[in-house]
Amino acid sequence: MQQNDNPGRGRILARIQKGLRNPAPKHAPVDKSGAIFAPIVDPLDRFQKECGQNGTECLIVPNAAAVAEAFERLLEPIPPGEIFVQDAPELRPMAALRRNDRSIRWSTEGRPAEQSQATVTLAEALVAQTGSIFVSAACGGRAASVVAPVHILVASIQQLVPDLGAAFERLRERGAVENNSMLCLITGPSRTADIEKIIVMGAHGPRRVVVILSLEPLS
Amino acid sequence: MSTPAKEFLHSAAVKSADLAHRSTIRTGIDHYEAAVMRTGARFLDWEAAREQCRAVKWEAVNHLDKYLLEFESRVQDRGGHVFWAETAADARRYISELAARKDVRTVVKSKSMVSEEIDLRQDLEKQGVKVFETDLGELIVQLRDEPPYHLMTPAMHLTRTEIADLFREKYGGVESNDPQHLVDIARRALRDAFFSAEMGITGANFLVADSGMVALTTNEGNGRLGSSLPRIHVVVTGIEKVIPRMQDLAVLWPTLARSAVGQSIACYNTLIGGPRNAKEADGPEEFHVVLLDNGRSELLADAEQREVLHCIRCGACLNVCPVFRKIGGHSYGTVYGGPIGSVLMPHLGGLNKFQHLSFASSLCGACTEACPVKIDLHHHLLQNRRNAVESAERPFGERLAFKLWRWMMMAPKRFAVLGGAARAGLRAVHALGLEGTRLDPLRPWTKTHAPPAIPAESFRSQWRKIATK
Repeated sequence: MQQNDNPGRGRILARIQKGLRNPAPKHAPVDKSGAIFAPIVDPLDRFQKECGQNGTECLIVPNAAAVAEAFERLLEPIPPGEIFVQDAPELRPMAALRRNDRSIRWSTEGRPAEQSQATVTLAEALVAQTGSIFVSAACGGRAASVVAPVHILVASIQQLVPDLGAAFERLRERGAVENNSMLCLITGPSRTADIEKIIVMGAHGPRRVVVILSLEPLS
Repeated sequence: MSTPAKEFLHSAAVKSADLAHRSTIRTGIDHYEAAVMRTGARFLDWEAAREQCRAVKWEAVNHLDKYLLEFESRVQDRGGHVFWAETAADARRYISELAARKDVRTVVKSKSMVSEEIDLRQDLEKQGVKVFETDLGELIVQLRDEPPYHLMTPAMHLTRTEIADLFREKYGGVESNDPQHLVDIARRALRDAFFSAEMGITGANFLVADSGMVALTTNEGNGRLGSSLPRIHVVVTGIEKVIPRMQDLAVLWPTLARSAVGQSIACYNTLIGGPRNAKEADGPEEFHVVLLDNGRSELLADAEQREVLHCIRCGACLNVCPVFRKIGGHSYGTVYGGPIGSVLMPHLGGLNKFQHLSFASSLCGACTEACPVKIDLHHHLLQNRRNAVESAERPFGERLAFKLWRWMMMAPKRFAVLGGAARAGLRAVHALGLEGTRLDPLRPWTKTHAPPAIPAESFRSQWRKIATK
């Protein structure tokens, strides 16, 4: 947007600057020495407990080979139809291992089809504090985490951080903030409380969110 | 002539006597309170969380120009567009022209109070664009052709049975009034719209200056779909939503979720910073952020009430408000209801038109106590009252009555004489059988309250007797 197309911009900024000349009452500085949230002693234990409460299914497996096995078992009960998989070196071997002849659409072929039965992606970070998973647009795109009824995430324990603050630091350090047009912290399956403020699981997004968590690095 | 104040009084009287309405609101608020109690334990120190959130918003609002410019330049670096709208009409015009230029026929819209503030949906519909509200609560009130009832829970005033009847009429295929079933029906009804819409419109919970990203919190995933599938994504939001750093969200996100719906954190906390990158699998080709002023910079200039711009629109002050619980969200007749609406509307819509809302409060302070960013709401209601009196917006009769009251209270003799006259007058009204009629000066109070007996003598004379014993 050229600034001369938007004459309101200068006027709004001028009003803000004029308005701020009159200072607002200050408050005592915030004492940041105390903890706002309970400290996280054992991140993995906390992550599992939080997942249990928010509805994320968490499968802990020893290594990458076991990830593929867990993935096979997960796919069995899912109705026939295409699945969408992020095109990543860590996920290629899993897809090759599959015993059924389910067709796969890779993220390099575009966004998931409306009828996708499941989407399979990597994650940027796992957050113990809330049992949440950070994904980015690099994890198969934007729609990959929200279109299908089942979202399967493959992650390793090296991606687990204690809290949200540490998660933001990790994203920033790894360039995920600058290099992605979208980041999303996902906490359980989609839900709504719009009818009588009762929480109902499964709204427009997935009904199941499954994280396969490897205790060894994925590659 | 009907004024907003008269309509408010009428609607408030009708709603507060509607016991079915009260019970629906009670049910919703009971569920909310139970959820807040459950998640409360996640905070070791809730007070510290509130103070930190206030500090973040204070810093942002008191350096608003700096952070908005930082946000703007980073969004532009990411390939997005930023438009500054002085008025609701400016914002509507920008979005309508964009829709026309890009041949947009269908819009999927997420919940956004700013879009309600500027009547965006109605404006787009006028030019023939089909607009789908995709938040379940918003969809329900759109189907009923009603404004949202509550900042956070637009259909709070409806029972599951009423919603089932509505869906039966509009969509068919309703087998029960089970909320899960109703949610499935809404999902199916909107699915095609998500995949065919050319434009997605969302609001914003925060604008993150240090990263040039818009933070959007949703539970349903509708905001995720609307910002992923259509080829254009438009964010419409207020200038006060900017925050300095992404790191600030580490406390803002859990605090918002607790205050809004009693969750430890919402299901989707999304950060969007532009159109898709070349190497990304999907995402919109265009990204626009419309920053709305519409009276906010005037409120900013009022240093005493500037902190009203800290509001994160969680709706907690509505849920705890004894007035909101009785009169309901529609009685206010405003986009923003409840205590925050009563404070805000005189600034956004004019003191003359909306000052009456600040008088409809018991000043109990429950709102101030509930506010996650510690806005001193009930004192701001008092300041609005003072401003209304000072600018002579109150009725002549009331001003005269308070002048007389003040004159009477300034001397014990006057107080004694006029108090005696009032008691005698009331006794005369009762003796003539006029109690409870229009000639009874206490009628506005006694028509809904049992009147106390008129004392035989004044407190002062009773006191004198006891003291001299």
